[in-house]
Amino acid sequence: MSLRTSPLSSAHEALGARLVDFGGWEMPLSYPSGTVAEHLACRRSAAVFDVSHLGTVRVEGPGSFEVLQGELSNDLRKIAPGRAQYTHLLNDEGGVLDDIIVWWVSDDRFDVMPNASNTDRVVSRIGGTDVTTERAVIAVQGPGAREIVARVSEEAARVPHFGVSGFDFGGVPCLVAGTGYAGEDGVECAVPVDAAVSLWQAILDAGATPAGLGARDTLRLEAGLPLHGHELAPDITPLEAGLGWVVGWNKEAFTGRQALDIIRQRGGPARRLAGLLTDQRRPPREGDPVLAEGRTVGSVTSGNYSPVLERGIALAFVPSSTPNGETVEIDLRGQPTAAEVVKPPFHRMHPSSGAARP
Amino acid sequence: MNVPEELRYTSDHEWAKSEDGRLRVGITDFAQDALGDVVFVELPAPGSTVEKGGPLGEVESTKSVSQIYAPVSGTIVEVNASLTDAPEQVNAEPYGAGWLVVIDPSDSSELDALLDATAYRATTE
Repeated sequence: MSLRTSPLSSAHEALGARLVDFGGWEMPLSYPSGTVAEHLACRRSAAVFDVSHLGTVRVEGPGSFEVLQGELSNDLRKIAPGRAQYTHLLNDEGGVLDDIIVWWVSDDRFDVMPNASNTDRVVSRIGGTDVTTERAVIAVQGPGAREIVARVSEEAARVPHFGVSGFDFGGVPCLVAGTGYAGEDGVECAVPVDAAVSLWQAILDAGATPAGLGARDTLRLEAGLPLHGHELAPDITPLEAGLGWVVGWNKEAFTGRQALDIIRQRGGPARRLAGLLTDQRRPPREGDPVLAEGRTVGSVTSGNYSPVLERGIALAFVPSSTPNGETVEIDLRGQPTAAEVVKPPFHRMHPSSGAARP
Repeated sequence: MNVPEELRYTSDHEWAKSEDGRLRVGITDFAQDALGDVVFVELPAPGSTVEKGGPLGEVESTKSVSQIYAPVSGTIVEVNASLTDAPEQVNAEPYGAGWLVVIDPSDSSELDALLDATAYRATTE
């Protein structure tokens, strides 16, 4: 199967990007500045990411609200048109088939954004039209993101956190949401493919640093955000992942609800997702065993070097009885390495002390 | 891609430079570029012995772990301790400040089996 390419692929090549296969898409892993520099640019000022590989499934018309309310885990009644919501698509066992951002664009129109490789799975459950090929999605993230976006469109820069609105880019109607995946303030713009390169270039010219999927992954890990296929999967429930708030407990019924109710009645899940903070630079990797008192109690789901903390960090499932503050060991390819169990996000922690800020 | 003419190479992307009978060793520009940002380097202790083609250490980037192999057999006489806190030197100056170790070869004839710049360049094309 040939790889799908972003509408921005020529722009990435011009920037000298290293391209990788991600979820069936050829996307930039990094630019010549490198993942660590891109990561730090996002934390210190602003980075721009091509996230066109995310799916967009348009669900519109009468009854759309009811379909999504019945299929997705979160409760759309918590938000309103012009707002975005993080939600899950569950299976009957309460496992996570995909994690999704829903953009509630207008009364009867929803743009549902699944992970690239799960788009078909989501369409088969909620219906709608896959309009992924009609647009690019450009994320601008970081403390300076809105200032940079304002140089391109003041309208877009004004979108509230988790708000959704339209904006005009040189006569082309676009959408923007105050969402992201870096643990920073920022926006994500959906732009029709014909205007995508111009918008990307305008954001670069306004001062954002282009960043690839490598930095996107280290940023989301530092922010403690889950990645489907790692911290979320069909055999992992939102409760295990610490995302009980994604479950609309006040809704009448939705797929997976009964299974989650049973888990709650039994006192909650046996394992929980935790942050692990080491005191040295070697990156933990997915699959590295986590040990307590010499016994394997879990394994790393994502791990890497934290450019902000300058040490290895990881997300891992540990027994629910393991408290934060406890010291465990990660078997880093034969080297037992002490790690503190912490509550993410990691990037608000002090690099010097290793502990979360009070 | 930078492949200095005066160095010798392995097909595993290590370089070696003769210095008064000893061999300074690092990874090539091609290798550092393929790895991406190097964030951790593990090196053997000075005084330990290594076998030609055997493990010499590990270089880890944000995306992967790469095993480093000894270009010759011998004793480790020096390691680049500055990489502990600044492993990014492997990216910035793979043939300079990013060197890894100095080996005192136990069999100097092993040097003859190493690739010259032209032969190494051919392995990367």
